[in-house]
Amino acid sequence: MKQKKEQYFIKTGLSLVATMIACLVVFSLSIAGMIASFNALMNQHDKRLSSEICKLMTEKMNSSIRYMTDSAQNMASVLSAQNFNSPADVYKELSDHREGSYVSIGFIDADRKIYASEQELKEFEKWDLLSTAVLADPVSISAPYRSGMTGQPVFTMFTDFTYHSDEHGWMFVTYPLAEIQNIAASESFEEETEIWLMNAASANIIQCAGENVYSIGSWENAYLVMSDINPDDKAAYNEWHSKMLCGEPSASFGYRIGNTAYTQIYSNITDMPGWFVVVRIPRSALSTTMSRFRNYVLIFISVLLLVTLMLILIMYRQSTREKKMLEQLSIHDSLTSVMNRRAFDYAAEQRLTRSGKDAMLLFFDVDYFKQVNDRFGHDAGDRILIEFTNILKKHFSELGFISRYGGDEFVVLLDTASKQEVTVILDSMTRDVHAVKPTEDPKKNANFRLSFSAGAACYPEDAESLELLKHCADLALYDVKKRGRNGYSWYHPKLDYIK
Amino acid sequence: MRTKLMGLLCCAAILMCSCAQNTAGVTERKTKLAPSFAPLTEIRAGRRNLYIIVKNLDSDYWRVTLDGAKAAGNDYNCNIYYSGTYAESDWDLQAELLDDCVKKKADAVLIAPDDSVRLAPKVSEVYHKGIPVVLIDTTANTDDYNICYMTDNLIAGQNAAAEMIDLMHRKGYDDASPVRIGVMVCTTTSQTINERLAGFFQYWAQNAPQGWKIIQDIRCFEGTAEETVPYAEALMQEYPDITGVFGTNDCTTAGLAKALEENERTDIGIVGFDYSDEIMRLIRNPDFDASTIVQRQYDMSHDGVKAAMQIINGKTMPVKFVDMGVVVVNDETLHSVKVQKVLVHN
Repeated sequence: MKQKKEQYFIKTGLSLVATMIACLVVFSLSIAGMIASFNALMNQHDKRLSSEICKLMTEKMNSSIRYMTDSAQNMASVLSAQNFNSPADVYKELSDHREGSYVSIGFIDADRKIYASEQELKEFEKWDLLSTAVLADPVSISAPYRSGMTGQPVFTMFTDFTYHSDEHGWMFVTYPLAEIQNIAASESFEEETEIWLMNAASANIIQCAGENVYSIGSWENAYLVMSDINPDDKAAYNEWHSKMLCGEPSASFGYRIGNTAYTQIYSNITDMPGWFVVVRIPRSALSTTMSRFRNYVLIFISVLLLVTLMLILIMYRQSTREKKMLEQLSIHDSLTSVMNRRAFDYAAEQRLTRSGKDAMLLFFDVDYFKQVNDRFGHDAGDRILIEFTNILKKHFSELGFISRYGGDEFVVLLDTASKQEVTVILDSMTRDVHAVKPTEDPKKNANFRLSFSAGAACYPEDAESLELLKHCADLALYDVKKRGRNGYSWYHPKLDYIK
Repeated sequence: MRTKLMGLLCCAAILMCSCAQNTAGVTERKTKLAPSFAPLTEIRAGRRNLYIIVKNLDSDYWRVTLDGAKAAGNDYNCNIYYSGTYAESDWDLQAELLDDCVKKKADAVLIAPDDSVRLAPKVSEVYHKGIPVVLIDTTANTDDYNICYMTDNLIAGQNAAAEMIDLMHRKGYDDASPVRIGVMVCTTTSQTINERLAGFFQYWAQNAPQGWKIIQDIRCFEGTAEETVPYAEALMQEYPDITGVFGTNDCTTAGLAKALEENERTDIGIVGFDYSDEIMRLIRNPDFDASTIVQRQYDMSHDGVKAAMQIINGKTMPVKFVDMGVVVVNDETLHSVKVQKVLVHN
């Protein structure tokens, strides 16, 4: 209790917990700032690159479709060069090519008679494919539809064909939509990239590539697909769709659905009027690796912080132990364990200035201590000092703090200024001190009686500063000594003129 | 004090983790579980065992489908067991039923997939176990099945759009009138619905007069006709200039029809899908302009059972996809032989 009181007046500065919390807050803010700027950079990077990737994907799709149309055209040119005499001959020749990836192949003559199997003829009628055939200049592609023969989505390509010198007909080849899907397939961003064919007027879309391979070939409508788009981005989407409707060859825009940001771009398909290749990619797809790197950095920094905190804690505990030891040495008198002079002066100054309450300072002197040393030796002297300190502690430890001020001189600062109360204590103390013996041997102790002298001054009655208070108490002590020791006295102003 | 504070922080962290775990838990299923397979026909020893899985056991549409299968079971001398789900979102329950068919050593399976995309791997798995798979009503996005009997929904959607254009003309709207069509779907993930919608939009874009528009705000709700009514009413209230509504399946059509009838909105025309009492009442009521596209689901399952028996007996199907076609039912066609032939099963 007493030690805590002493520490209260001596302790200064921030605690370790406060310091560590402050450090953690600063650290967290710095990390948050770092992540925010890192994310902002990644966003910029993703926005720019995703647009570029979408462009590349649409170009790849378009050039692949062109490659298919070129192949069909080349085949038609080679066959046209053979100058068949009749449409039946053309159909016979084409029938020999029913292999590979075609679903069907056939011929339409100048009179628009279709040379095809029974099932193929049904498909022509059902999907009105003839109307697409006549658009071929030199190539046209139908909208995707479900083939009765395969049950899967297909599309039919029509190519100009010349026979019998100057007769003009069309060759047709039906491919599974999977052909386009194979073209669209890409190892990079395979799961993230979605590729659609989109019809501008109806906003119908048909999936060509995406995360779920089973959803490829299924129809959807953009009004539904885009219904979850963030309200702020709807205007941008409408503008993008308007450009498509107006026939602009390509346009891109960015939007969010929930927390996912997408970049979406379209590009027209020359031989498929009204249809466009659309590629969309979540911007985060590009930053996956960077995000992983960012997370590794975060984990590394966090582990580093944890290790640092642990080291600080270990060092703190070690330093606390050392500090305690040093404090013990610097604050307390090594013989009597009460405060030393320096510590007392500091603590007393704090006590008087901080609380401002009434106090009393007493100076004690062990009478004739030098003679005790000379007669009984220094060990006995030390024993006397320890015994005297114990008596001081017994009587005053609850009332204030005690200090060995030097040699046989002690000082006590009490939280009371009641002379009556202190008089009772001093009388009781006097009896205790008289009973102190320098040795264990009664013979040696014969004719020895220990006594003390004490001078007291009250705060703020006698003095308003520690220095003056000590001075007043010293005068009172001097007065007692002058009068023959073994007693105590209170300061009064007359003493100022005695010394 | 410091130890207490650390303890408190640890407790809070553990509590947060456990809360997070609870939130991420399995979501509760809203609909009933699929029942075990039950006999649809008389079960006799020595006959082939066919299993049929439908989408909604509570629906009239699927009752008719099962009637077709039952009749075919008798016609082609086979045992037929049936089960199904109660909502199209329960495709995972259909996957379990398919596993059950394999366990029961089915001779053939007929299934109307709840989800063409997500059920495709399971359909493929059953097919590769050597069990003939016949798809009815809806296809699956895989090559691994024997034959599919269904409505080509892209064409059906086009038929619906053609009928809507006719109906608007019948109501007196000319090409310069501001026609506005509201659309309601029951789900955004069903390929059947998406194809109908695609067909509708495709035909509309090519054939509707320039100023006739489809409201882009497509409403989505899956529930009974009764439950759909408030959503249908909200659509009509939010778009006061609406002149027609399109329901993409039986429930949305019945809900839209009921809402029109209850609110006496004879100014709004309706084109829907499938047979329901609600839409039929409107078709028979001369105050309303109503049409519905009725599928041949009876024939789908009947022909499906026939094909399954042929496949079991070693016949290879010449085609994989058979479009059963639809009939457009309105007050003019209602009594035609073609329509009555289809409606007799409903």
